[in-house]
Amino acid sequence: MASPFSGVLQLTDLDDYIGPSQECIKPVKVEKKPGKAAAKIRIEADGSYFQINQDGGAQKLEKAKITLNDCLACSGCITSAESVLITQQSHEELCKMLTFNKTATPNEQKLVVVSVSPQSRASLAARCKMSVLETAKKLTAFLKSVHYVFDTTFSRNFSLLESQQEFVKRFRKQSEDKKALPMLASACPGWICYAEKTHGSFIIPYISTTKSPQQVMGSLIKGHFAEQQHLTPDQIYHVTVMPCYDKKLEASRPDFFNQEYQTRDVDCVITTGEVLKLLEQEGVSLSDVDPAPLDTMFGSAAELTSHAGGGSGGYLEHIYKYAAKELFGIQVDTIQYKPLKNKDFQEVTLEKDGVVLLQFALAYGFRNIQNLVQKLKRGKSPYHYVEVMACPSGCLNGGGQIKLDGESSKDQLQQVERLYESLKTEIPEKNRTVNELYEQWLGGVESEKAAKALHTEYHAVEKTSTGFNIKW
Amino acid sequence: GLGRGLGRGRGLSPRVGTILLSPGPGWSCRAVLDEGHQRTVRRVAWSPCGSYLASASFDATTCIWKKQEDGFECVTTLEGHENEVKSVAWAPSGTLLATCSRDKSVWVWEVDEEEEYECVSVLNSHTQDVKHVVWHPNQELLASASYDDTVKLYHEEEDDWVCCATLEGHESTVWSVAFDRSGERLASCSDDKTVRIWRQYKPGNDEGVVCSGTDPTWKCICNLSGYHTRTIYDVAWCHLTGALATACGDDAIRVFEESASSDPQQPTFSLAAHNSPDWAVTLHCSASVLRTSVEAEPSRKKRPRVSFSRHMSLMARAVFPVSFLE
Repeated sequence: MASPFSGVLQLTDLDDYIGPSQECIKPVKVEKKPGKAAAKIRIEADGSYFQINQDGGAQKLEKAKITLNDCLACSGCITSAESVLITQQSHEELCKMLTFNKTATPNEQKLVVVSVSPQSRASLAARCKMSVLETAKKLTAFLKSVHYVFDTTFSRNFSLLESQQEFVKRFRKQSEDKKALPMLASACPGWICYAEKTHGSFIIPYISTTKSPQQVMGSLIKGHFAEQQHLTPDQIYHVTVMPCYDKKLEASRPDFFNQEYQTRDVDCVITTGEVLKLLEQEGVSLSDVDPAPLDTMFGSAAELTSHAGGGSGGYLEHIYKYAAKELFGIQVDTIQYKPLKNKDFQEVTLEKDGVVLLQFALAYGFRNIQNLVQKLKRGKSPYHYVEVMACPSGCLNGGGQIKLDGESSKDQLQQVERLYESLKTEIPEKNRTVNELYEQWLGGVESEKAAKALHTEYHAVEKTSTGFNIKW
Repeated sequence: GLGRGLGRGRGLSPRVGTILLSPGPGWSCRAVLDEGHQRTVRRVAWSPCGSYLASASFDATTCIWKKQEDGFECVTTLEGHENEVKSVAWAPSGTLLATCSRDKSVWVWEVDEEEEYECVSVLNSHTQDVKHVVWHPNQELLASASYDDTVKLYHEEEDDWVCCATLEGHESTVWSVAFDRSGERLASCSDDKTVRIWRQYKPGNDEGVVCSGTDPTWKCICNLSGYHTRTIYDVAWCHLTGALATACGDDAIRVFEESASSDPQQPTFSLAAHNSPDWAVTLHCSASVLRTSVEAEPSRKKRPRVSFSRHMSLMARAVFPVSFLE
């Protein structure tokens, strides 16, 4: 089966052929008893192993056990772990949860919350030939056995604001910290997994610690929202609808697992395509559904809003404008993007009196990420910030988006882009609910709680080189 | 002697720390480049201008060496492949380079006037280990051979490279490919013990072969089977005489000639005699078990001379790879 993950993730040492020496490289700790070296092992008829000691006594040997987390952290046979993951997170799992809820006792029941990404919504709108607002309302109605349907555009406000602040801090200390700049975007899990596995401790210091909108929503729902509903985090089942499969891996990161309540911040990620499958399973055509009012808790009910700067979130746009103002007192209204070698690699420069003050770039797709990292390694990168995304053309072109028949992929993408950009854009600083939440939920912008809820860390993955897997 | 007056040397694949043998009169070891790679060097390729040598290694990197007066200097190391790089090839233009790897991908690189290399495209069309990449003799068209039993062709479309054709037919790993002089035909050799010849049919062709859109279709027009008893690892197509040579796991090199009365749409190739005194080949063996090269001297009679030296029996089973000196 062709891998549904982004091209960047696919290239990270996934080999479907698992040779004998590659089956598992996780070392298993065994109690070593002092004594003579050679031990005899007897295999019983039922397949169990017994070690025969010097004195003739027999000891049953334990089977080696590896947990899924061990698997995910290793770079050996991760292909199998990923397929396990995909089956654990799918629209079928959501259906199971909803069915369970119907017959469960009030104690066992979970509050089901679905957070829809604006990119998924645009893709659905294109497929069902509706406006994004209609799509949002009808989707809310369709998911009626779900208790709340939210929009991750709301949590994206936090990601944008935190990224802005983080950049300015890093810019100001670049003389003391050689790895402060360039700051590299952190919202794309395809990029993050690739970076951790392939470049590890070299690249990690450059990556922004700001959480992605998906995970900020996770913290919000399982934190503040849970409290408001008088529930513990494990009593909420949080589903997100995303344009790609890499987001499923992001949701299962140990950093986003709440140890105290043994629950993930995001329990299940389903792709736009899987939502379509759900609709088809139920025999429902979204355009025929009667619209329901949108949930107003996070964001405004009257109209949906978006952020400027493209379908991948607008990180470059927001950070650039904020930094220009904050660091140099320059007000920027429109940004001039200069495409370089290809349309997925674009540059933006802030110049004054012939001096370059800020140089930012967009780098989408593996070849551009590759060139960026290689330039960085050679010390030849001129950028202060790079918005890195694993998919060519960005999130609107994610691997989980709906493919329309009979249209060229270029036309399809243009349609989705148009729908995505049909909404009014808002500035994160001006969102009242966001400002209130900084106070009520996090106790202030610079608080320790804010740092914990809105930021994360990365872990280099150890590479194992086994000499046995050479294929001539 | 061989190679005289042609301005080109032969790159041999050194293993780390291996001293190259002086294989015979007229040849002397100019340099040992043992500080570039950490593992087996699988293939080397000279740039069309002759000033650069690219080496592809199992350590997942490709080194670019520049010829200096007193030796070779490694000017850059191309990183990015996840594991063993199996082959490297320069495009005739000299500004593009292709590499392929066990990670199933084919990469296209571009070099600028300042000798800076950048990745232009990462092609993930194959579903298995890619064994070899070869450029078309006069177009920017790239061919790759893979463990997935196919040959794929790639060209540039807008601002990216795409796979424009997949040649299916082999029943096992395709180890190598070679274009004929015109580039209209391609030969592929495989673990299935056959050599297949493929022809390009452009849209609107006289033979009525259906094409989709503006891309040409490639059809298999000849299947040389029954001649080889083991895996065929390499194939070379002589651009002077049109002869095909193969390197096979049954310890033999075979040379095929196209019949004079051959139909262009259904060519026939016959095996040239092995023991004929008209055929003589000099084998250059390096200490590395993997590499031997066959040099067929284009004689005045326009027939390559091939013979088998005693050296062969000392070498490992696989005879691999094969190329024609031009």
